[in-house]
Amino acid sequence: MAISDISHRKRYLAEGNVYLPHIAVIEKIIEETPGVLTFHFNFKDDKLKDEFTFESGQFGEYSIFGVGEAPFCISSSPTRRDHLEFAVQRAGRVTNALHRLGVGAEIGFRGPFGNSFPLDFLQGKNLVFVAGGIGLAPLRSLIWNVIDNRDKYENIDIIYGARSPLDLCFKYDLDAWEQDKTVKMTTTVDRGDDSWKGNVGFVPSITEQVAPSAKNAVAIVCGPPVMIRFTFPVLEKLGFTPEQMITTLEKRMKCGIGKCGRCNIGDIYVCRDGPVFSYAQIQGFLSSEY
Amino acid sequence: MKKVKKQDITRLLSQWQKEFTVFVPSRENGAAEMTVWDGQDVSFLDWYRNTVIPPKANFLLNMEIMFGFRKEDGSYNLELPAAATQKQLVFGIRPCDARATSIIDMVFKDAYEDKYYLNRRENTLLIGMGCLNPYDSCFCTSLGLGPAEATDVDLMLTDIGDDFLIEEVTDKGKELVARTEGVVEATRDDESRAGEVKDTAYKKVTRKIDTREIEKRLPASFDNEEFWEKVAAKCVSCGICTFLCPTCYCFDINDEMLKGDGARYRNWDSCSFPLYTKMPAENPREEKWRRVRQKVHHKYTFYPSLFDVIACTGCGRCIRLCPVNWDITQTLESVPAEAATGTEKK
Amino acid sequence: MSETEQKLRNEAMTLLEQGRADYIIGYEAGSLKFTTTPLITRDKDDIDRLVINPFILNNLSVFLGDISGKAGIVAKGCDSRSIVSLIQDQQLAREDIVIIGVPCSGVIDLNKVEKLTGKDRDELDDIAWAGDKAVVTIEGAKKEFPAKDVLMDDCLSCDMPAPQEYDILLDEVGPLVCDKELSRSQIKELEEMSPEQRWEFWKNEFSRCIRCYACRQVCPACFCKRCFVEETEPQWISPLPKWQDNLIFQMTRMIHVAGRCTDCGECQRSCPVNIPLRSLSKKMEEIADELFQYKAGTDKDAPPLMAAYESEEAEDFIR
Repeated sequence: MAISDISHRKRYLAEGNVYLPHIAVIEKIIEETPGVLTFHFNFKDDKLKDEFTFESGQFGEYSIFGVGEAPFCISSSPTRRDHLEFAVQRAGRVTNALHRLGVGAEIGFRGPFGNSFPLDFLQGKNLVFVAGGIGLAPLRSLIWNVIDNRDKYENIDIIYGARSPLDLCFKYDLDAWEQDKTVKMTTTVDRGDDSWKGNVGFVPSITEQVAPSAKNAVAIVCGPPVMIRFTFPVLEKLGFTPEQMITTLEKRMKCGIGKCGRCNIGDIYVCRDGPVFSYAQIQGFLSSEY
Repeated sequence: MKKVKKQDITRLLSQWQKEFTVFVPSRENGAAEMTVWDGQDVSFLDWYRNTVIPPKANFLLNMEIMFGFRKEDGSYNLELPAAATQKQLVFGIRPCDARATSIIDMVFKDAYEDKYYLNRRENTLLIGMGCLNPYDSCFCTSLGLGPAEATDVDLMLTDIGDDFLIEEVTDKGKELVARTEGVVEATRDDESRAGEVKDTAYKKVTRKIDTREIEKRLPASFDNEEFWEKVAAKCVSCGICTFLCPTCYCFDINDEMLKGDGARYRNWDSCSFPLYTKMPAENPREEKWRRVRQKVHHKYTFYPSLFDVIACTGCGRCIRLCPVNWDITQTLESVPAEAATGTEKK
Repeated sequence: MSETEQKLRNEAMTLLEQGRADYIIGYEAGSLKFTTTPLITRDKDDIDRLVINPFILNNLSVFLGDISGKAGIVAKGCDSRSIVSLIQDQQLAREDIVIIGVPCSGVIDLNKVEKLTGKDRDELDDIAWAGDKAVVTIEGAKKEFPAKDVLMDDCLSCDMPAPQEYDILLDEVGPLVCDKELSRSQIKELEEMSPEQRWEFWKNEFSRCIRCYACRQVCPACFCKRCFVEETEPQWISPLPKWQDNLIFQMTRMIHVAGRCTDCGECQRSCPVNIPLRSLSKKMEEIADELFQYKAGTDKDAPPLMAAYESEEAEDFIR
């Protein structure tokens, strides 16, 4: 099943060698939470800086030379091309090394890889974004994309949660969306603290309370696997069909181009055929190893 | 068709050595593999049945520099290694391994071209040699191959007694023969002799699987956790069956750094290893039965669905070399005829 | 079917029926000539597939960690020592294991038979014991070889062919052919080399390691949930199969299994590229014995060698 046609992807290959990264420079680092940093970067090569394009939902392979490479989605919106962004949670060798970088450091970038959120399909619809933790990173690329083309879409609902107030990522975005009259923003935490005055509860149950209508709507869901697994049934209860639910999957994507072999779910290679899938597609997968 | 006298093989290889890096089967290094010919030794003609290290190692190196990098004043310079354009000739490749090479070509050509692999592939001539004494672990005939059939090679040699019959399979092969001394026209007798030899070899392959039945049953078995747990029980999760499989191509990418200079490498990796799919919080194939299922299904379900060919040529290495005699043919034959009643939760 | 085999099947069946074992771990006929393969089952219908013959090579104790519940396990002398060693390291509880001891008169090294006959194993018709001779049939003709020429090297130096720790013993100890000199002939060759020669030797051997980790995976003493090789923070050695890293991997593994290795020979037998790993593991075993008078897996109540310290222990290297 070819979910999307790879030949139409936008890609930049150095001298035709898809494994050779482009050098990029870190321009700014934002501490989102104690374990999550957002990096702003730009390509060193001016021509590439101008010509590089991507779509919301696509990812890149980021290198720290001498340490290794890891995949992260591009978390900024293609409508805001002053620089590119990606967000990194500390977890292993490469992410720890990224967390030690400073402004001005050089990294490698390969991409963009994978498919993207289906903008054509989303246009003219009510959009419900449901995200947990750092799972907001791929969605914020789409959210800003949609907000920057606001007249093409109907209502926007954003439901976002994290473990605690300290774990909320992209607080500057949350504030902006809170202010935006055309967006309905709901923020929640699993456990509050003394100063927290907002919702307390897991994302799936808050989604049930907010109860966005399924009529002419599409839900775009991303977060920890357990959150995704509990959110889909809630949305189904609210009347969303599997075709109306979209998510983006995380896998250990080493090559990014469907060759190295570790990101497959049955005959689907997440890096090449995804990472964006509808719940209908996921239900059709042979394997439940997602 | 052409032929060459057996005693002239050295002469043949010597001519080719002027133009190519010639690889022949060798067990000098402790395990049979294709190594660069020393210009004399053709003793492999006596002992060679197949190599332990499959000839895929000539294209997908088990350790390859993808590029080098150097850091100067905080800036990186990346350097690609010289493209692998050295012409090589692999002499004596068996039909199972030649077919396997064609099968994994599909992955490296698909969507994004993999220059490292393809450069080597495009600069290589494959000289096949019929396998007249297949192992008891071989089952190539069940996968549409014959142990001595001329497929996926440039030239095919068949031992017909005092001579090797030479079939010119590709134009490249034909051109090579045309500029090679010591090769003469074969007679009709030679050709019919070769036919007999091939038939005899074909009949020697007694291990069989029924691929039609497997293609029917296997997808339905996917969720049968009980079946996969049972067949996976004795697997020790080493990398032998995958590393030494001529159609396994999975790889890892790793950096190495020494005082500001470093390189990015590609090396073989295996879906048998528990950490292969490990992510920070989750591991989709942590349990052994999932990994065994992945290996079998990749070859017999996923690959056919993506490329319309089973990614197995029945070379038998995974059976022969497995430390616990885990036998893929037994697993395939024991797949239940009935679909499981959904034991695994989606 | 031999008497021993029948006895084994009866015992195994009783264990399952009485619920004394949830699983039976034994051997069944392999799919290739002269092989057996592990049979791990809780299904009574499988029990009549259990076999005992001169090709029961695998050290089955490696599977005990996978089993949840009680296991009845077929064990040769060396295997039973591995089980004891795992108990010493608190990887197993004695009461969860029913050891079905098989006295062993050594297992046949097919590589040696291949070398002696010039034939591959699948080209041989038969291999059988006749007293202390192995009789190999090739194309109808019989050839005799002295036992010491065809036994695995590790069997040639075996002191404990019968399990010392067991719940059921299937048979009395058969005749055992030992030749300790022959068993360590390669170690002797290595000892006689200069350090430079030894270095070259091992450099050459480890150059062909492909990092399939079969040596580690078949080793019962390698029970770490996560091997140091796979640690990434810090990364101790490179995952790339460079000879230097291959060598460091094996050296470190050997030190980790010192005092746990029972010379079962599985690492060397499993190596697809024929690296003589036993020359390292056996040497380690000898050193452990020499320095600490310690034999792995012989006393389930003793602390593991590397986890115990006594002030009078040899410490030549610290003085």
